[in-house]
Amino acid sequence: MRLIDLLSLIADNLGRRKGRVALTAIGVVIGTAAVVLLVSLAIGLQQNATSQLWGIDDLTRIDVSPGYSEGPVISGRGGVVAVSELGGGMQVKNLTPAAIDEIASLPGVEHVIPRDYLWGGGTMRYGRLENYPSIMGVGTNDLSVFGYQLREGSLQLERGTAVIGHWIAQNWYDPKARPGDGQPEQPDLVGKTVTVTLMKWAEDGTMIEKKVQVRVVGILAEQRSEADGWMFMRLDDVTAYNEWFQGKRINRNKDGYPMLVVKASDPDKVIEVAEQINNMGFMASTPQSVVEGINSFFTVLQITFGGVGAIALLVAAIGIANTMTMAILERTREIGLMKAIGATNRDVLTIFLGESAGIGFIGGLGGIAIGWVGGELLNILARTYLSSQPSYGMGGQLTASTPTWLLLFALVFATLVGLISGLYPSVRAATLVPVTALKYE
Amino acid sequence: MDSQTSQPFIQIRDLRKTYVMGRNKVHALDGVDLDIEFGSLTVVMGPSGSGKSTLLYLLGGLDRLTSGRIHVDGQALEQMDENALAVYRRRVVGFIFQSFNLMPTLTALDNVAFPMRFSGIAPKARRKKAFELLKQVGLEKRALHKPTELSGGQQQRVAVARALVNDPKLILADEPTGNLDTASGFAIMQLLSDLHRAGRTVLVVTHDPRMLQFATNVIYLLDGKTVSQAEYEAASTFSQPQEITEGNS
Repeated sequence: MRLIDLLSLIADNLGRRKGRVALTAIGVVIGTAAVVLLVSLAIGLQQNATSQLWGIDDLTRIDVSPGYSEGPVISGRGGVVAVSELGGGMQVKNLTPAAIDEIASLPGVEHVIPRDYLWGGGTMRYGRLENYPSIMGVGTNDLSVFGYQLREGSLQLERGTAVIGHWIAQNWYDPKARPGDGQPEQPDLVGKTVTVTLMKWAEDGTMIEKKVQVRVVGILAEQRSEADGWMFMRLDDVTAYNEWFQGKRINRNKDGYPMLVVKASDPDKVIEVAEQINNMGFMASTPQSVVEGINSFFTVLQITFGGVGAIALLVAAIGIANTMTMAILERTREIGLMKAIGATNRDVLTIFLGESAGIGFIGGLGGIAIGWVGGELLNILARTYLSSQPSYGMGGQLTASTPTWLLLFALVFATLVGLISGLYPSVRAATLVPVTALKYE
Repeated sequence: MDSQTSQPFIQIRDLRKTYVMGRNKVHALDGVDLDIEFGSLTVVMGPSGSGKSTLLYLLGGLDRLTSGRIHVDGQALEQMDENALAVYRRRVVGFIFQSFNLMPTLTALDNVAFPMRFSGIAPKARRKKAFELLKQVGLEKRALHKPTELSGGQQQRVAVARALVNDPKLILADEPTGNLDTASGFAIMQLLSDLHRAGRTVLVVTHDPRMLQFATNVIYLLDGKTVSQAEYEAASTFSQPQEITEGNS
């Protein structure tokens, strides 16, 4: 039997029973629409979540922390890294300059930048305005290494200068303001000098202050990452402040740095480099591993949502099986006739399988149309609702996202569901004894 | 004409067909031996339950025999698998049924063309051939009518045309006039007789004695066995008074 004849015969047969085919297909429509809509929702949520991840702007970045482990730490090359003993048998492998060199020598590593926080409190003053920045010392003179975008000024750090994040630049307040005065006008700081007051307590409980003058050389544009809340200074400045806090010198060869930022030459090498760093006994985390974790969560969510829709499809499948079984009972004589005029068992099997797959296909077409339209409606509703919520920050984001592969998959899946549901009735039809079928009343 | 001249077109030997009905076994055919020559018009006579329809279905490859041998045109039906039987039905046999068995949703033309779908013939060629056959049975003007718009006689003529689409050597007709009035029944028998004269082997199963005038060969069946005309008539006479009594009452 030629394919074109088979398809036209299937279409004719389905067309003969429009009402019943439509009713059966409605079950498939609902199931497919549910699969498409729910999986679209899960994909939309995933896209929302990943697009709003903070600090995922730089896929070549690896954050490295000291390695903590129980028992002796296997050191890298000939014991070049310092190992400290912590309480309870815990050992820490510090990020010393030697470790930095070791990491920097790994293939695929472009930069290794140590960072350190200010270990005490600091108040920043400009005129009558005050601010409480978090100060971060970075072991580079050029912040462009981090890929930060500048709003104003420069990313080049010198001693006694700072680049401040978006939030810091907008968080000046007037300590003498009265309630209801609102936020004061934010100063334009580029090129200006601010006073940073460091505070510590002496053993006798008195507060000791140290005032340092810092010139602001640049203000970052909003990064939507941790950088928005930092005031970046040179590491040697911050180390000097920390030594003042501690009252003693910091030996980096022994104590190391609390964190390194490693930049890989290529996003594709990040995972490999991170693994190598982990193997060296440090703790490397990458935005990619965060994204992977989130993606695997949403994959589970997609499967779960898809599964809910698949249950609806399963019910539809039983409907198809029932319809086909009834059709075969009603058309027993027709099957007998087909066999009498030369149809093989395989012809009959193909015709009935084709009919049930056809019901699945028709239902699948309707389902993907309704699922897609439903997703779009959901997006319109979400946009309308979210835009009425002041400064929620999600305006314009999609709630449901329907990729083409999902539509194709749903259509193929619905057709397969039809095909499989028709398997039992079709085999029954194909194996009918012709004479019994012809005599069937 | 038949190339297998050394052997009859149909050769049946010790043919048995047994149906199991619950705990009972019914011997529909109980050791039938038959030879039917190519190009003959054979009428199989027998009352209900004599096994005549069973014989026709076995000859047509629509059912499986229990034991024995059926050779048609040199092919041993008892050795064929389902697929081979389907091909045999498609190539060798044309069926005509008492209840016509037309597809109610198709036109006369499409009904005739329907079997050709399984032979892989292109739609245009199918319709052309179907129309020619409808013309042959005198229904070219009704080609686009559906079965419900045709009389019984016309429907059976469509069925005859359909039986001819694959140009079969053997036409098997199961009570072809059973559902028809006298005139229509006669016309159908005339048509079958024409087919026989055109060189086909025709086998008609009936219990209507009027069909005998067209036959070149008559087989009488009683209780699953072939009998002579005398035996058949004796059996029919035996049962006749009762029928007349019933008819007159």
